[in-house]
Amino acid sequence: MAQATRLSTVAQRRIQSELNEWMRSPPEGCCLESCEPMTSWVVIMQGPEGAGGVRLYSDEVFRVRIDFGEQYPLDPPDVIFLAPAPIHPHIYSNGHICLDILYSGRNGGWSPALTMSKVVLSLRSMLASNTDKRKPPGDAEYCARVGNRSPKLSNWVFEDDKV
Amino acid sequence: MSDDSEEFRSGSEDEEMSDYGASDADMDVEDDDDDYGFAGAEEVSTVPKVPYKVLPKEDLNKQREKALREVMDVLGIDEDTAMRVLRKYKWDSSRVQEEWFSKYDQVRESLGLVDEPGPSGRAACEAEERCFICFDSFPVRDMRSAACRHYFCKDCWRGYITQALSSGPACLDLRCPSTECKQKACVPCALVMELASGEEQSKYSTYMVRSFVEDNSSMCWCTGKNCENAIQCLVDRGPDEAMDVICSCSATFCFNCKEEAHRPVSCKTVKTWLTKNSAESENMNWILANTKPCPKCSRPIEKNQGCMHMTCSQCRFEFCWLCQGDWKEHGERTGGFYACNRFETAKKKGEYDDESRRRENAKASLERYMHYFERFDAHSKAREKARLDASKVSKDWLEQLADITKTPTSQLKFINEAWNQIVECRRMLKWTYAYGYYAFEDADRNSEVARHKGFFEFLQGDAERSLERLHEAAEKDLGAHVTKARNQADGGFDADAFQTFRKNLIGLTDVTAGFFDKLVKQLEKGFSSMEADYAGQVDDGAGPSGVNEGGEQAAGAAGGPAATGTTGHKGRRSKKARGVDEDVVLLGEQGFWTCNKCTYNNQDLTARRCEVCNEARAGPGGGAGNRR
Repeated sequence: MAQATRLSTVAQRRIQSELNEWMRSPPEGCCLESCEPMTSWVVIMQGPEGAGGVRLYSDEVFRVRIDFGEQYPLDPPDVIFLAPAPIHPHIYSNGHICLDILYSGRNGGWSPALTMSKVVLSLRSMLASNTDKRKPPGDAEYCARVGNRSPKLSNWVFEDDKV
Repeated sequence: MSDDSEEFRSGSEDEEMSDYGASDADMDVEDDDDDYGFAGAEEVSTVPKVPYKVLPKEDLNKQREKALREVMDVLGIDEDTAMRVLRKYKWDSSRVQEEWFSKYDQVRESLGLVDEPGPSGRAACEAEERCFICFDSFPVRDMRSAACRHYFCKDCWRGYITQALSSGPACLDLRCPSTECKQKACVPCALVMELASGEEQSKYSTYMVRSFVEDNSSMCWCTGKNCENAIQCLVDRGPDEAMDVICSCSATFCFNCKEEAHRPVSCKTVKTWLTKNSAESENMNWILANTKPCPKCSRPIEKNQGCMHMTCSQCRFEFCWLCQGDWKEHGERTGGFYACNRFETAKKKGEYDDESRRRENAKASLERYMHYFERFDAHSKAREKARLDASKVSKDWLEQLADITKTPTSQLKFINEAWNQIVECRRMLKWTYAYGYYAFEDADRNSEVARHKGFFEFLQGDAERSLERLHEAAEKDLGAHVTKARNQADGGFDADAFQTFRKNLIGLTDVTAGFFDKLVKQLEKGFSSMEADYAGQVDDGAGPSGVNEGGEQAAGAAGGPAATGTTGHKGRRSKKARGVDEDVVLLGEQGFWTCNKCTYNNQDLTARRCEVCNEARAGPGGGAGNRR
């Protein structure tokens, strides 16, 4: 689906190593649906059980798409939920995720030492710690405005560290 | 602390007044760095005369190093650490010391400063470790880490640093990329410098210097075009306190809000005013109040003639202004071209009334705004023109004039002085209109405000009138002299007339300065104590500075009692600068005195009343004592 991005050798080797690592020990509740081409992964994620046995998402299965860019791992990849995206105050209906580690720049928390295995675990824990299953404020307006463009082009503000 | 700076400011003005009134020997006291006092000064001030300093690019680094050195010495830390902690506390070294000693651990933690473990940690140099960016393994000696010892290979570090440098000054606070790094250790400057390319190194250094200005609450960049100077504020300013500065590149702006210099008006007023001016809504209001859209092409049309028969200038559609219907119908149905029955009906039904009331209200408030804006704008444009003229005069005309009049250019500096005065005054004047718009909004409802408004407009009027005279003299009279001198056939240069012009212009410059000083001071003081102030007006003139002692007629005659010749711009008007030091220009010695009311230059030095307006002559002893 995504066009094959020409990757630097560093990126290729890095993604290959991550892939090997993933195969050796996949992150809990996740498996790879596809990694063809190597620059675009789709991860299947089992909805986690919340703290104290809360079953907010545990009957659901989500799909996460990861698109690596040329500058990976210095630049973060594009990470979005494929439709239907989980209903969560920090996840928009178009799949965009408001999570600092997915973005670099002024207030972003991306680090080149982060791996996709760590990223999907963060996503799962984001779902697990939620207690209020609702859409983010201004969801419809945001989705209408940005459509399918890369989430990295949005200006994110990360203020809620609870969920 | 704002009290202090306030005190300082008035202090400096007092000094300047004394300077003005002081004898010849003290004329160049302004250039004196040693403050050993001078005649007329009541106290020796240790505060520098100008509350700010212009730092050219070269001095910037010196100042920065000085600031760093101070903190390094006191806290016993290295340069890198000093830089980080100074940046955190906006280069306020006393705050740095306070925080460092009281919250040592917290400060270090927030900056990502990690204690370097002993050299034993490097023992495993031959061992290989995995770089968690590229996932390859390298011997540790080929890898680098911050003090936290999370090792990455040099190439990955390079990429990480390049990435950070391209995202702006935030790279100065670069942290260890490891997700395991709980301390979020800072990446030392030395590591950046080791791995960055030459270009990147200079970029990093530039960011470090820029931080000294941009993160520093007492510094700012000059806003002048292509100017690389920085301005350092030397006094404690209150929050949001305006401070006009003049850079050596001749740009003038406010240190606090970075807008054009706007003394005596506050930054807040300036901001509101400028926002209002740029707001589309004001234009919309005007269009709403004065125009109607053409019923056919919808272009807004302003009615500029009496009759209701409108013709759109764009689409040539003819319609009735009142009902906006096609004019053809009017001719047939109403029988009379200038009465619209349908409009009358609509009015009876009340459809028109609300609409018209809304229009009227909008129109009234808009008219008030337009009054102030037009004047603000006119003075603003006049100032721009005057600036161009001033530079033209000093570049082209002055030398020609010197040739023709056979006087050294230093003798013609009074012309420059006059022009500088004009430019300054236009600027002050335009801002007083922004002030007027906001300060007296309640004038219709509150008689006290109305009284203040009246007084403000009186002062403003005086200043404006005087400025117009000065501007006209500098523009037209000077032009006439130059033209006449160029045109030899017409009798050539008239030396006597030029002398008169010279005296007149110097006089006008002083008078205008006086009026503006009075206006500016009143605005800064506010109008609440107005009545009390003006009961004591006569005493004011004698002032603490001793202006009227020693038979100095100059200031008294020049600008009325309160005006002692400061223009709000320090140092500008020292007599020396005017280039007439050997021919001291005290108005009394020029053979005329200037009327306080109408500013006419009376030739009769013994007269007690103005020849033109018959106003009693102000100043101690009337015509007496004008010669020493």
